[in-house]
Amino acid sequence: MTNFWKLVQNENMKIYRRAATLIMLGFVVFIPILVTVGFVLLSDGADVNMWEMMQLQTMIVFILITIFTVVKSADSVAGEFSSGTIKLLLIRPWSRSTILLSKFLALLLFALLLSAICFVVSWGVNALLLGYEANPGGLIPPTSPMAGGSPWAYMLTYYLYEWIVLVVIVSFAFMLSAAFRSGGLAIGLSIFILLSGSLITGILGSMDKPWVKYVLFSNLDLTSYLSGGAPLPGRGMTLGFSLAVLAAYFIVFNLVSWTVFRKRDVAA
Amino acid sequence: MSQAPVARLQNVTKRIGGRTIIDRVSLDVYPGEVFGFLGPNGSGKTTTIRMMVGLMSLTSGDISIGGHSVRTEYPRAAEQVGAIVENPEMYKFLTGYQNLVHFARMNSSVTKERIDEVVKLVGLSGRIHDKVKKYSLGMRQRLGVAQAVMHRPKLLILDEPTNGLDPAGIRELRDYLRQLAREEGISVFVSSHLLSEMELMCDRVAILQKGQIIDIRSIRGQAGEAVQQTEEALFDVDRPEAALGALQGEWSGYVADGRLVLSADRNAIAEANRRLVEAGIRVYGIRAKTKSLEDQFLEVTGSETND
Ligand SMILES: Nc1ncnc2c1ncn2[C@@H]1O[C@H](COP(=O)(O)OP(=O)(O)OP(=O)(O)O)[C@@H](O)[C@H]1O
Ligand SMILES: [Mg+2]
Repeated sequence: MTNFWKLVQNENMKIYRRAATLIMLGFVVFIPILVTVGFVLLSDGADVNMWEMMQLQTMIVFILITIFTVVKSADSVAGEFSSGTIKLLLIRPWSRSTILLSKFLALLLFALLLSAICFVVSWGVNALLLGYEANPGGLIPPTSPMAGGSPWAYMLTYYLYEWIVLVVIVSFAFMLSAAFRSGGLAIGLSIFILLSGSLITGILGSMDKPWVKYVLFSNLDLTSYLSGGAPLPGRGMTLGFSLAVLAAYFIVFNLVSWTVFRKRDVAA
Repeated sequence: MSQAPVARLQNVTKRIGGRTIIDRVSLDVYPGEVFGFLGPNGSGKTTTIRMMVGLMSLTSGDISIGGHSVRTEYPRAAEQVGAIVENPEMYKFLTGYQNLVHFARMNSSVTKERIDEVVKLVGLSGRIHDKVKKYSLGMRQRLGVAQAVMHRPKLLILDEPTNGLDPAGIRELRDYLRQLAREEGISVFVSSHLLSEMELMCDRVAILQKGQIIDIRSIRGQAGEAVQQTEEALFDVDRPEAALGALQGEWSGYVADGRLVLSADRNAIAEANRRLVEAGIRVYGIRAKTKSLEDQFLEVTGSETND
């Protein structure tokens, strides 16, 4: 048997050899540049710390990165069913679980690549146009557990938290794609979760029920722990708790994907 | 044949939603033979093939390829198989070549030289670096054949492979399949609802109807020429009913259009004639009628599809 990495290479080929992917990469590269250039041109020399600008851009771009990865997850399995290529893919000497794993891994690598591009471009353009600062300015709130620390550590942690949330949302999209074979459903529901997350968290927060903190939505704003708060204040939620809840959802989503994908007949 | 079969289907059954689609299908495919799988639309050819290549699970029974069960050792079984299931759907946004590279990466044995070789073999050299979305159906079919034979499988499974090919393409494919079987000892399992096609390329055919195998027969003799199967003889006699009565017990026959129709080969015809004469029946003429595979096929399956 050939090595597993070749399967991931195949999935990469199917992700990157498409015009849509280049457009996605373009967004991630140009949004930070446009925001900073626009700010410098329009702000009449107002002084803004590069790290604060970087965090703002990361917030915006990460929503896009999540959406892009969700779109790719929807296509990854459901797209093979709708094009019929799933038949030629699954008759090879590989188990279905291994093929699914190669797809999931390629998607995570895609998200990782986009995040890395976002970090490098956003850091670079802000350091260049706003001036490099060793001092975090207003980036780290005084209530933060990382207060007084370096802006690098804070920023990387910020990325890490955003990335963990992304992995859970992408697992959800992947489940709809692999188990229910519906790309539209995968994109629609996942983006709904992503965009309505804070609204639903607000509604849940106003309810006086003990189960509210176990709901997926209530744990999607991990970065609120970084500023010393919690997604739902006053309920004793901790970072460890949210990570455990997210891990549980991650496991459930992937269990469903794998179990269903391994068993179901391919009759497309 | 004494050799171990390349593919062995044993009581393969598939039920979907309480309906039995494939019913206790058993057959063996031997090394170097072209095996035809013939049946009208909806008889279950594609479903059987899907089970052979692991796309569908079996409700009961087993399928082994090169001695490895597709139920329990799927990757080992799949290593020895190349296939096209229904239409050869490829990644349209990739070029033909990139598609081949994609599938080559999934089998350890395929080198770059081998890819070039099969591209030449299926006659796609001039267009292989075009995107598949610009291919005609026949070109996609050829690319499908290329991905199926690229890793030199022991068993090649093709579901209606001539679909979309022009007459020259059909002929090339037929010659190529026979050559693969003869020279490389590859077994070919090919489905079709076109008899004429099967007669020209297969050594044996199984006839499938409503999910059941109703007949498996050889259609080529040792020398490779098509052999004629059963024969019918038409007896033009004065009293057909009495004639039938005189032959009762030894021959099966019936009366049609005032003639006696017997299933019998050359010797039996002579013998039957002697009996008729002895019974005092006047025989005005005897005509042997060879049934083509087509007649037999229509006879066993009826002309209606069974969906
Ligand atoms: N996923 C499915 N669910 C329910 N019934 C199915 C399914 N797939 C196929 N069938 C039924 O199984 C029977 C056999 O279908 P199959 O596609 O195997 O026939 P076929 O011999 O390949 O026909 P054709 O010559 O038209 O390609 C048909 O009656 C079909 O309706
Ligand atoms: Mg079919």
